[in-house]
Amino acid sequence: MSIKAYESDTRPDWCPGCGDFGVLAAVKDALAALNIPPHNVVISSGIGCSSNFPGFIKTYGFHGLHGRPIPVAIGIKDANPNLTVLVTAGDGDEYGIGFNHMIHAARRNDDIKVIVMNNEIYGLTTGQLSPTSRLKQVTKTSPSGSIIYPLNPLAALIGDGATFVARGFSGQPKHLSMLIQEAIKHRGFALVDVLSPCVTWYDIYDEVRKLMYKLEDKGHNPTDFYAAMKAAKEEEKLPLGIFYRDETKPSFQEMLKEQIGDGRWASKSVTPLNSETLRELEYEFS
Amino acid sequence: MQEVKDITIRLGAAAGDGIQSAGEILAKLLSRSGTYISTFNGNQSAIRGGHVWFHVHAGTHPVYSMGYGVDYLLPFTQLAYDEHYSLVNKGGIIIYDPSAVTARDLGADISQIKSPFLATALKYDKYPIMKNTVAVAEVAALIGLGFDVVEETITSQFAKKPEIAKKNVEAAKEGYGFGVQAGVRKALKYSDKRLPFLHANYTFSIGAVAAGCRFYAAYPMSPASPIVHWMTAHAKKLGITVFLGEDEISVINATIGAAHAGARAMCATSGGGFALMQEAVGEAAMTETPVVVVNVMRTGPSTGLPTKTSQGDLNMMLGISQDDFPRAIFAPRNAPDAYDIAVRSFDIAERYQMPVMVLLDFQIADGGYMTIDHDFEPVDINRGKLLNSDGTDKELHNGTWFRRYQLTPDNISPRPLPGTPNMMYVAKTDEHDEWGHDLSDVLAGLKESVLMREKMQEKRMKKMEQLKAEMKAPELVGQTRADLTIVSWGSSANPVREAMEVMNSSGLKINALEFSDIYPLNTQAIVPLLKSAERLMIVEANYTSQFGGLLRKEIGIDIKDALLKYNGEPIYPVEVERMVRNIMVKEVESHVH
Repeated sequence: MSIKAYESDTRPDWCPGCGDFGVLAAVKDALAALNIPPHNVVISSGIGCSSNFPGFIKTYGFHGLHGRPIPVAIGIKDANPNLTVLVTAGDGDEYGIGFNHMIHAARRNDDIKVIVMNNEIYGLTTGQLSPTSRLKQVTKTSPSGSIIYPLNPLAALIGDGATFVARGFSGQPKHLSMLIQEAIKHRGFALVDVLSPCVTWYDIYDEVRKLMYKLEDKGHNPTDFYAAMKAAKEEEKLPLGIFYRDETKPSFQEMLKEQIGDGRWASKSVTPLNSETLRELEYEFS
Repeated sequence: MQEVKDITIRLGAAAGDGIQSAGEILAKLLSRSGTYISTFNGNQSAIRGGHVWFHVHAGTHPVYSMGYGVDYLLPFTQLAYDEHYSLVNKGGIIIYDPSAVTARDLGADISQIKSPFLATALKYDKYPIMKNTVAVAEVAALIGLGFDVVEETITSQFAKKPEIAKKNVEAAKEGYGFGVQAGVRKALKYSDKRLPFLHANYTFSIGAVAAGCRFYAAYPMSPASPIVHWMTAHAKKLGITVFLGEDEISVINATIGAAHAGARAMCATSGGGFALMQEAVGEAAMTETPVVVVNVMRTGPSTGLPTKTSQGDLNMMLGISQDDFPRAIFAPRNAPDAYDIAVRSFDIAERYQMPVMVLLDFQIADGGYMTIDHDFEPVDINRGKLLNSDGTDKELHNGTWFRRYQLTPDNISPRPLPGTPNMMYVAKTDEHDEWGHDLSDVLAGLKESVLMREKMQEKRMKKMEQLKAEMKAPELVGQTRADLTIVSWGSSANPVREAMEVMNSSGLKINALEFSDIYPLNTQAIVPLLKSAERLMIVEANYTSQFGGLLRKEIGIDIKDALLKYNGEPIYPVEVERMVRNIMVKEVESHVH
């Protein structure tokens, strides 16, 4: 499928040079490469610069509340598992206010793909400390340097039992597209953390370029839990790629299908009950 | 033996003593003998210890509430005796085991029968739990039920454990014998008609699925939990997807997601959980996503009294989330009502593309079963302006986007579902134009956007005008002309109706207006009903008369005589009667039945 199929009429309102442009290009590229028709994709987002994403790509979208795109995405996927459901949001949305939802979506192995544009700062609210901002980082809410340790989302999610955890860089959209494609092909929950620098409030392009390397170039085995954890905790360098991947665990939606039966999805079965069933249900209490 | 029209029975014990199960057997005995029942569960937020009680009101005609006083009291502990003996009616009977309870001198009007529940139970089992069976069987004899129905009910109750069933039947035989010895006192007219009894959590659940709901989301919270128990128990058979969220925020957002994808979706909680859902109710209204959200009320702000009843959350429903947005609010009066309202809720949510909120409460939901004397009818589903086919209509397309929020004469826009080719749109919690473009960032404040914000806000709010016209007027119960009209809403209708029947049979002229369609109020239909009333009184279970406040605000009628109960206990018919007599004869009458 051509990338043009996903072309929106709306120009992104991101600052020139914003990392999120690279993520937008990578998502379109990944969907096109996998031949997923635009009408079978739903993108759920929250609030923040990166969460304006859905209107900038021609697919179905749900531009929801701050921190809540994950449960909305799960509801969509549960009701119609034929859809490809992505979450696109920022580090404030997913690692701050909505992190609880991420932990539990990973635990359930819900078949949604969460792409976090992580810029280590709150951008749209004009540059405050975020959950991934670093110790000593100077921001509007940490003028004397941050005295709060940052969250390590990759280690947290690998430890929690997430079945697919990857990190990409918006400056490398081809590599990022590969990661997103693998996430979509994955059986269940996937987190793709994307370092997507904020050129206005906290520009880390040069730093990322200096420190990054690709895990696949170093012979990393993504099915090795301890190797994945070690890579997630690495501080000297900045590994990119698929940290962890477990294809042995069925997703929640696969197990749900087993329990309620194939094709009985909530969006497909808006049908009344007949009087015989109603009577049976009523007389269970007698 | 005296043949009566209704009987009240109360069991009291410590939590963990098996009183719920004993009460359930009693309710079944009566339901399987063709009588109408209404029960109440005086339980605590404890698994063992403390004090719990179970009340059954049974009648040969429909009964709605607790009835008057207690005809038969079974106190299994001293605390149960001390807490409840004062409620026993003249001519009533207390049946107790002297090894557990020391009786007081209550005079000649009340009989007190000593029965060795515990010693009898221990003959059949090393645990004392079967004392309930002995006692219930004794009451069955005292109210003139045959042993065959006792045996059948006990056997079916323990169907999976035939050994235990057998022991219980033997113990019951002895207990029944005690009753026969004491002689039948008060009896109802029985038949072999078997009536089902349910509470409003269950009838609402059945109504929801009957109306096509196959997506349910919840985080357990009393007294809403029976809904998630019912949904999960029937998930396989009926094909229900249940989302067990990590909190109520995820619960309502998943419900909105499922509805967005085309499911009929619902979630339920109690007040505290609803408070967490607050922001997302506005989200459903702004994105015009149809969802049904149930609040099964309990007492108090914060944690409050989790197992006690209240109607204190109406103001929260009316004011939930920021700024103005459309919503519908219903409050079923009882279990049969809840089925019908479940069905209507889903149609209204979809036809108007807005959140529908439903208020149940402990008294009619988790806490009280009621007889349903008719079969639930299959329903038609009206999905409003849902589109299923490809959009080729140029008016609805700009080449990229579907015109999801089209301004239309009836203010309701066409709604396609994700997965449909050529109908893409983005549902927006930001203010938006007809195509789902944000008005909140680069367009905010520009002339065109200011105008569009006005149009969009008007579009959403004007849906309320159309909805208002189809909201039902309250049901007028009793004679058309009366000296006093009692206004109630939701569950408070039940004790009012029961008290009214008793008072009217004693010569008073009282009628009742029972509201179950709460918001928006169909003022055109309501005003004449309220204005033509001779005198008005209101009954509700909260401190400030929240529904009275709504009537004052919307209709300009101030009902000064109000029975307001907020201690967590159910409203009793006798309390309604006391208040009425107080108003009508201007003196307190210590009327004891």
